Amino acid sequence: MDLMEKLTILTDSAKYDAACTSSGANRPGKTTMAGCCHSFSADGRCVTLLKVLMTNHCIYDCKYCVNNSSNDCRRATFTPEELAELTIEFYRRNYIEGLFLSSGVIRNPDYTMERIIQVMELLRHHHNFWGYIHAKTIPGASPDLIRRLGLLVDRISVNIELPSEQSLKQLAPHKTKAAILTPMKQIALESGQNRRDIAVYKAAPKFAPAGQATQMIIGASPESDYQIIRLASAMYQKYDLKRVFYSAYIPTVTDSLLPALDTKPPLLREHRLYQADWLMRKYNFGAEELLSPETPNFNPYLDPKCNWAIQNMHFFPVDVNRASEAELLRVPGIGPTSARRILVARRNGKLGMAELKRLGAVLKRAQYFILATDWPRHTRVNRELIVRALIDPNVFAFGVEQLSLFGDSPAFQLLPAAKEAETVTEAVEEAVSCLAVNL
Amino acid sequence: MPGSKPLARPANVIFTYDGSFPGFLCCVFESVYTHQIPLEIMVEDQPPISLMEVRRISTDQDRAERVRVSISKKISPRTLELVTTVFFTCLEEKERKLLCFLLRAYREGGGLVWRMGDPEVSALLAAEKHLLGEAHLLKGFLRFTDAGNMLVSTITPKNFVLPFLARHFTLRYDKEQFLIFDQTHKAALLYQHGQAEFLQVDNIPEPTISPQEESYQALWKRFYNTIAIEGRENHRCRMTHMPKRYWKNMLEVRDLL
Repeated sequence: MDLMEKLTILTDSAKYDAACTSSGANRPGKTTMAGCCHSFSADGRCVTLLKVLMTNHCIYDCKYCVNNSSNDCRRATFTPEELAELTIEFYRRNYIEGLFLSSGVIRNPDYTMERIIQVMELLRHHHNFWGYIHAKTIPGASPDLIRRLGLLVDRISVNIELPSEQSLKQLAPHKTKAAILTPMKQIALESGQNRRDIAVYKAAPKFAPAGQATQMIIGASPESDYQIIRLASAMYQKYDLKRVFYSAYIPTVTDSLLPALDTKPPLLREHRLYQADWLMRKYNFGAEELLSPETPNFNPYLDPKCNWAIQNMHFFPVDVNRASEAELLRVPGIGPTSARRILVARRNGKLGMAELKRLGAVLKRAQYFILATDWPRHTRVNRELIVRALIDPNVFAFGVEQLSLFGDSPAFQLLPAAKEAETVTEAVEEAVSCLAVNL
Repeated sequence: MPGSKPLARPANVIFTYDGSFPGFLCCVFESVYTHQIPLEIMVEDQPPISLMEVRRISTDQDRAERVRVSISKKISPRTLELVTTVFFTCLEEKERKLLCFLLRAYREGGGLVWRMGDPEVSALLAAEKHLLGEAHLLKGFLRFTDAGNMLVSTITPKNFVLPFLARHFTLRYDKEQFLIFDQTHKAALLYQHGQAEFLQVDNIPEPTISPQEESYQALWKRFYNTIAIEGRENHRCRMTHMPKRYWKNMLEVRDLL
């Protein structure tokens, strides 16, 4: 089998992994702190790393995975030399920032890990490659191998795969919660220890300087959004994760336990989860503030921040000339960048609406929640007006049928009409009138 | 000190200079010492068609250095950084806008650059952001072709980003030799034997492509076309992140144009 064929098969099997970032490792000229996208594929996702599998042979039989052992598909395996050379040559031409390597499990987890480590050692020591490397550990591999791998790569990750132990048992019978969480804990401990070592001795070898990440599949199992973000927030706190990635389940294999093959991937839901994820990491929102056991799923029409704002109107208005950064961050239309700019700019002069606009705040949303020098407190604003301004225009780009996924959320039982709406305007009108009453 | 006498007043005169940054600093010098704000500041090679008085400002390195030091000392280092960056952008009438900003900043001090809501300042900050953003994108979107003895690349940016790419690429490929050709500004960054230099170049020859190079190009295209998930196709999203004006220099999407 020639290299072209191998690359095609192994890229095809790796593409469902969501993570493709190169942020966090600070080496001048190699990777910028914020990461660097080299291209964007037809699905609009960033291409930063050469994302491939070492092999798509697998002894496991995870129901949701294209590479499961009972799926009849073409199989291939890279030799470590081939893969190292391909990475180097792509990197030289500035096609990629580095390598993202995952693998199916051949023989046993330890054997597979050793193959992955072999590639990393070739790249780092033989080819002197100091670009970004993100490697997946294999659940069940021995702690020694995880440690060795961590010292070679920038980011290391273990996929949690599914949001609950129950689903894991059902859909990934060979993986256990313990086999996933034990390495995650080990990585967190090792990185913590490593940070202390580096503080004492600068030249101490770095253990996964860009931290660890994980990914879970959304929509293959019945968990609610509330369960998912609770889990994510617990993992951020407990295992010091840099990112949690959510991957809308795209049916590739038939199984009675999985959604049917013609099910559309829940892209809107995935989008809402990412929004909530950013709110938790960058805006200091807690999972409990965004959702609760009573409303366990996200509002499809409003993004989580607007939704929170409308339900907490007593918190507003916020005076942009006085409020703290944390308070500014709660205003829809003001993000971390504009909040920081407001803090600097207001030391050098009072802020009015014109200034705020130039600073980059989105007044369309922010105007209902702020006070500025030329923007006094409003007498009771019409709720319908606010909802109309805050409604997420993206919601209709994902297609009206996606909304039905949220059917079980109590606020939207009144909405079946939206499904039949002919035009977007009609759907917006419908949504506005329902939301204004319900919230 | 707001309220004190302005450094210069508008006058019916046009300055021309050689287009270099020191040349521009000499225009600032001229403006401050004659108390005149010109109607326009133009580059010499585009002779103004006008009945106005045209004054040619010659570039004097000593004067330029005096202005440079004074910006950093009397206003703030951040102001100098902003002015230097904005000078390389494609902002319309950038010289006059920079001059007016500097004259104000000499009076109002280093705080002016932080008044980000001010219309004049925010225009400059937006231009700076445009340039730095374009430079950041190109760090990823730039594609090299291995022409045997050297890696070659062509870019067509709106802003003059080469000085902002130089550090990144010389550190990244410190053992290689490469040439980045900026077609818009007819300039090139040449790096060989550990030395980087900027050149004035009108054109570069098409690099010859070896079979090996061809096979890597084919592999990359195949990888790019395979990595997309069919069920999630989203061309609008791709175009937002990777505007079409970059596509003609990008191997994997060039054929889609």
